[in-house]
Amino acid sequence: MIPALTAATGAPRVAAIEYPLSRPMGMVGDAAGQAAVLRATLAALAAADSYGAVIDLPFQWPEPRGKAMGPLPEEPPIAALCKRKPWLFLKLLSGKIPVPESA
Amino acid sequence: MDSFKFLDFATRKVMQAWSDREPVRPPVWTPLEKPLVEARIALISSAGIARHDQPPFDRDGERRNPWWGDPSHRVLPRGTTERDVRLYHMHIETRHGEQDLDCVLPLRRLEEAQQAGLVGSVAPSHYSFMGYLLDAEEFLTETVPKIVAQMKSEEVDATILVPA
Repeated sequence: MIPALTAATGAPRVAAIEYPLSRPMGMVGDAAGQAAVLRATLAALAAADSYGAVIDLPFQWPEPRGKAMGPLPEEPPIAALCKRKPWLFLKLLSGKIPVPESA
Repeated sequence: MDSFKFLDFATRKVMQAWSDREPVRPPVWTPLEKPLVEARIALISSAGIARHDQPPFDRDGERRNPWWGDPSHRVLPRGTTERDVRLYHMHIETRHGEQDLDCVLPLRRLEEAQQAGLVGSVAPSHYSFMGYLLDAEEFLTETVPKIVAQMKSEEVDATILVPA
């Protein structure tokens, strides 16, 4: 997932995994793989003994990056908006959220 | 570990910028006060999961104002499966979780961990919210306290937040 962002938001403990969005626990139907991720996460929960601990889980996504990142059913509205008005992408980067009237 | 490996270029830039911009906060630390084998565990997913008998998350609101995300949450009872839910997060591939809910909310895997004696018990309630919240103020001030209160009433010892 995005452990750097999770850690930056102040999560007390992070079990970090390099898996794609929408499948943080593993592939569809892979009960054994999902169970392994959950067990490793529980172990990280028990092992972390201080604030800010980031424990890397020892799993690799079994597909190439391109195959793991298919198109979404619907383009996210903010992505569509930034295509229409590219200058708004800078606002998105800055975190300065405009009020609806100025969007 | 590459936190941004599976993101497209624009999303990677946004996530990196937001990670760098996060303010340093005072440490929030709650020790696990009992062994896992005695602990009650609850799960939280940011995939925007709602049961068919619950109101959907407000995707039309996000379509009208792309800077807005629905700050509410849904309670998912123990035993909920993909047959009971729909995923409403507009920035992930929702079909995965709708085919196999354990991809995003490992309720069956948690039941198995309890049966194997790895955790003490599975909480009666689990939770989901929309992970796309550019302004999280309402979520933090109104939604999170409700989740915390229900967890306390159900004597939850630890929770695993599963980002979608």
